[in-house]
Amino acid sequence: MSDIQLYLLEYDKSKKEANRVAQGSAEKLQNKQLKLIDLIESLAEYINNDEPATRGRTMSYLAEVLEAMPPKVLSLQQRGLLCDFILSRIVDDTEGIGSCAKGLLALEERGQWDSARASGVMTTLIDHTNPVRQFRTQSERYPIVQLVDRLMAKYRDAIKNVHSTTPDFLSRFISYFDGEKDPRNLMIVFSILKVPMTEWDTGKDTQDLFDAVFNYFPITFKPPPDDPYGITAQDLKDRLRDCIASTSVFAPYSFPALLDKLDSTSLNTKRDVLSTLRACISNYGFQTISLYAITLWDALKFEILNVQEEDLATESLNCLAGIARQLSLGTQSQLNAYLGPIIKECNQHLEDAPTKQSSSSGRIVKSVAATTPQATNTVISGIVPTFFSLYHTADNFPKRRGLLEVFGSIMKADIEVYGDWRSMHSLRFGDDIAEKPPNAFVEYGEQALHLMSSDLSSAPVKEVSFRLTALDGLLQLSRIREMLSDDQISSLVIDFSNVVVTEESYGKDELKTAAISALVEIAHQKPQLVIDKAFPTFLANLPDTDTGATTKYVPVLEAFAKLADEDKLFQTVIIRLKSKLKAAVHQQASTKFLCDLLTAVFFAFTHRAKKMDIEVNATHYTDLVLPLLSQITDSQDQHNSSLQSEPVLDLVGRICGTIIRPLPLTVHISMSKEAFTLFRGVTNESVPPFSSTFGAEQRYMIVTTQVLASLCKEASPPIKLDDMVTALVKFCLAESVTSGVRAAALKQLSLVINKFIPNAELAKTLEPVLYAPMELLTSAKLNSQSIRVVFAIVKGLILRNSSLLNKTLPSLLEALSNIDYGRTIARGFSTLLQPDDLLTKENYCTVSGLHKQKTFNMLVPPIAASFRAANAATKTNYLIAVAGLLRYLPYNILSHDLSSLTPLLLQSLDLPVEEAYVKEASIGNIIDILTHNPAAIEEHANSVITRLLSTTDQKSNPTQVRAVALICLATIPGSLKQETTIPLRRQVVKRLTAALDDGKRSVRSEAVRCRSKWLDLDEEDEEE
Amino acid sequence: MDPNKDNANPTILNPSDLPSRRKGDAISNREDGGTGLFDGLVPTYSYLSDPFDVPPSPTSSEEDSPEAIDEQEIYDLISTISDPEHPLSLGSLAVVNLPDIHITPPTSSRSLISTVTVEITPTITHCSLATVIGLGVRVRLEQALPPRFRVDVRIKKGTHSTDEAVNKQLGDKERVAAALENGTLMGVLRKMLATCE
Repeated sequence: MSDIQLYLLEYDKSKKEANRVAQGSAEKLQNKQLKLIDLIESLAEYINNDEPATRGRTMSYLAEVLEAMPPKVLSLQQRGLLCDFILSRIVDDTEGIGSCAKGLLALEERGQWDSARASGVMTTLIDHTNPVRQFRTQSERYPIVQLVDRLMAKYRDAIKNVHSTTPDFLSRFISYFDGEKDPRNLMIVFSILKVPMTEWDTGKDTQDLFDAVFNYFPITFKPPPDDPYGITAQDLKDRLRDCIASTSVFAPYSFPALLDKLDSTSLNTKRDVLSTLRACISNYGFQTISLYAITLWDALKFEILNVQEEDLATESLNCLAGIARQLSLGTQSQLNAYLGPIIKECNQHLEDAPTKQSSSSGRIVKSVAATTPQATNTVISGIVPTFFSLYHTADNFPKRRGLLEVFGSIMKADIEVYGDWRSMHSLRFGDDIAEKPPNAFVEYGEQALHLMSSDLSSAPVKEVSFRLTALDGLLQLSRIREMLSDDQISSLVIDFSNVVVTEESYGKDELKTAAISALVEIAHQKPQLVIDKAFPTFLANLPDTDTGATTKYVPVLEAFAKLADEDKLFQTVIIRLKSKLKAAVHQQASTKFLCDLLTAVFFAFTHRAKKMDIEVNATHYTDLVLPLLSQITDSQDQHNSSLQSEPVLDLVGRICGTIIRPLPLTVHISMSKEAFTLFRGVTNESVPPFSSTFGAEQRYMIVTTQVLASLCKEASPPIKLDDMVTALVKFCLAESVTSGVRAAALKQLSLVINKFIPNAELAKTLEPVLYAPMELLTSAKLNSQSIRVVFAIVKGLILRNSSLLNKTLPSLLEALSNIDYGRTIARGFSTLLQPDDLLTKENYCTVSGLHKQKTFNMLVPPIAASFRAANAATKTNYLIAVAGLLRYLPYNILSHDLSSLTPLLLQSLDLPVEEAYVKEASIGNIIDILTHNPAAIEEHANSVITRLLSTTDQKSNPTQVRAVALICLATIPGSLKQETTIPLRRQVVKRLTAALDDGKRSVRSEAVRCRSKWLDLDEEDEEE
Repeated sequence: MDPNKDNANPTILNPSDLPSRRKGDAISNREDGGTGLFDGLVPTYSYLSDPFDVPPSPTSSEEDSPEAIDEQEIYDLISTISDPEHPLSLGSLAVVNLPDIHITPPTSSRSLISTVTVEITPTITHCSLATVIGLGVRVRLEQALPPRFRVDVRIKKGTHSTDEAVNKQLGDKERVAAALENGTLMGVLRKMLATCE
């Protein structure tokens, strides 16, 4: 049996098997077992068969054989003969055309064609298979368009030659693809047609060519859900847009057609139109664009003046800007012809500012001006004079504000084109500064400065928006490169500082906030001016001490700290704050005042922590950390008593920590030696926690905690680890320790256990503490201090996922049923997963990514089980414990055990009022579950809703709890099924009227929101 | 411009100029006059509260001082309603204004009913949508206020060519109820109220 017979036999059973037969034939050809001529002859009978299907399959066999042929087996002559053979098939019989195309593609791959061959293939196709749509299946058409695409890509000159020598070739070529609908084919057709568009002289066929692609506009294709080809509507849109925008000769057809579609009611169509317009504008060239500029403006302005959708307006603005950019390449008169009507119309809208259209005019002006120097200057000379005359005659502040807003956008556009002070430096070298025409705005600078600065200071404080606009205008003016003199900018800096420092507070203090940001921005441009002019004002208004003074210094301090955001001001701000601090200490200022100053320093450092370089930090280590530490511990200094309060020490510690953290290991190691002694020149054994008594010096433990937190793992203090742990535990248990110091020491314990103890020594170090001889875990030893110590230890272990937890956690769970201390232990569970500011990766702690998941798995299921078995007295403990754990867990962890958690969460809503915060946490978890997996709540809907309603009703619940219950209730209509919620709607809406009359405004506003959600529920139902 | 709109180009107020409560109670309560810039710096859970003790219950003074429903609160409820013609709020179009909102306490000691009067100002005197806006304000307040308030919405005198007729419509309970049965109208109202916070 010959291979073709075998192939035809297999074809019906398995295409794969059939293909293998073809591959076998190819192999035989290669081994010379089979001669090509014999193979072709064996086809004769079938290729002329009466049955079309057989003829098609025979071609498919041939194509598959050719595809399977390795390169260089077929000689040039053989390939030529095969091509001729296939082409003659196409002429006689289009059955199996897809396979013919595949065969030709395979032949082409096995040897470059000459141009005669390429044009022959093309003409045969166009003459005998026109149009392609006559072939029904996509899979038959696909190889044909692929073949045409190959010809267009590789034999461009040959095909172009066919076009120029055959008069009607192009029109037949265009109609060849008529009516193609398949997205995969269309993608190729678009790219094929782009070749004649961009490279051929299209002459009388231009419109047909344009229509051939524009007929597909707008693309409304939606890929099927299991689309194997992964072609999206966007892919098609992009190719189509490239075609339309490919050549300026389309302009007479494309612009009218596109603008016509811009009137469509479909927003998506409009989006496609605008993005296509934008592509056309940037591709057609300025000569063509200048012909259509006014028409385009007339159409596009409606999208901006009567905003329908924000993105449409933005894209229209981009189009307008694109036109301005193009026309700037042409003559000034072309540009004027376009900008003239825009300026005229915008000036008209300015007359009735502040309106919707006047503010839209501002956007238009901004986008056309922010393109090229020519456009900027034209717009400035067209609009700015009108602005001034309108402004002077404006009799009210809203109008002036509306005008100033537009003026501000012109300045912003000017900066985009001409740059600001900061960019000047980089531009001057190598950029185009010399070629730019002079900035037309310069002429108006002085006038604008006087106008806005006098208005800013003379307008009443209640004219907030007006003054905000004036302030922003002044800021923009100060930014424009080479516009104002340093003296002029200095006077602005003084004005802005006065707004911040001396002006009375009003409303939301928006102006003060804006003035601070403006100062920071000016500092960005002209740092020295701010240091020279603003700092004296700020410092004069910061007292040295707060005793007897009534000045409200905090806003000034806040503003001053914000200035440190700017790189160049940072150092100076810190120096000034340091000297203030020195003075305050000297004058025995109050703790509050010192804390505020230190907070400002801390703020400045934390905000710069990311961009701080090591060298700067190193200077602060010697200039700030060491002096501060020696100052607080210096018992000789008679002034330092004010530095001894716990909050002050905490802040000092935090500042030191922030500076030390990024420093190199050597510094860390030398610091670790002094972590407990803090450079007091004494031995570790003589200071807490190692000394035998804990006197007043115990408070320095607060600083030590922060310092230890900032050290890296390798910089462990040079003390035996088990001694350190034992000493810390004893310290935490001591009665003579104040609660603040104890809290710090407990943190220290967690830190040491988490960071400094190697895995191998963990058990050895902790066993003597938890078990004999100290036995903290035995119930007989429980007391309120030891519980804290145990939790501090466990916290350190949890974060590093230690295996010791397998033993310690069960003991903790057992203790929940303790009559005396069960409640305290229950509350302790909330500390375990609480986010912590010291035990973090940044502080070189070991924080396992899985610790939350693991803790959940180890604790929550046993708690849920014990809860069911517990007696009434201890049930509450389990609820508190579980709520304390859950409140810090993300939903994806909760999701593992929803069925047993949900009842616990619900029951915790019934807890007595003193556990209100537990309720708040549980409601938070319920909201989480509702948003992620409402089905889990569905069966409890009734009970959730009833409990939430009664939570909102009970005035004994704190405000926050009532509010969060309402928030939770409001998420229910959007998440639970309507058949569950609709029957409850009436009852909920009715009971919510009580919350509408709640004593607290925040609760009422939640009640309003919640109630309208439930009311809407019904309305949606009516619609259906 | 757009023939379908009564007033295609209304005047717009800036949000900074709209009346507002002084940023919640946060600012007025801050005795130091600061803006709270430093507040988040040191986490509250570090030293301030010891989780092992009973959490401090909110001070009774905070819970006891009730905040009465006032004109500003009414304003906040209705100023965020959208205009049916523009994607803008009634507040920024100055259709509702704080001075035009009045709360009348109960007339006698036996009565509990207070009255809220809202006068709305159409953007132009021939605005055909004044009734719809009035209705929207009315529906919003009836949904958001406790039942001890009676709601009275009217067009401000002299701001509309047919203000009396509109007021009659808005005051007529049965006509209001009938209007709310109308599906199309409810659709418009729902869209207007969708932007309410």
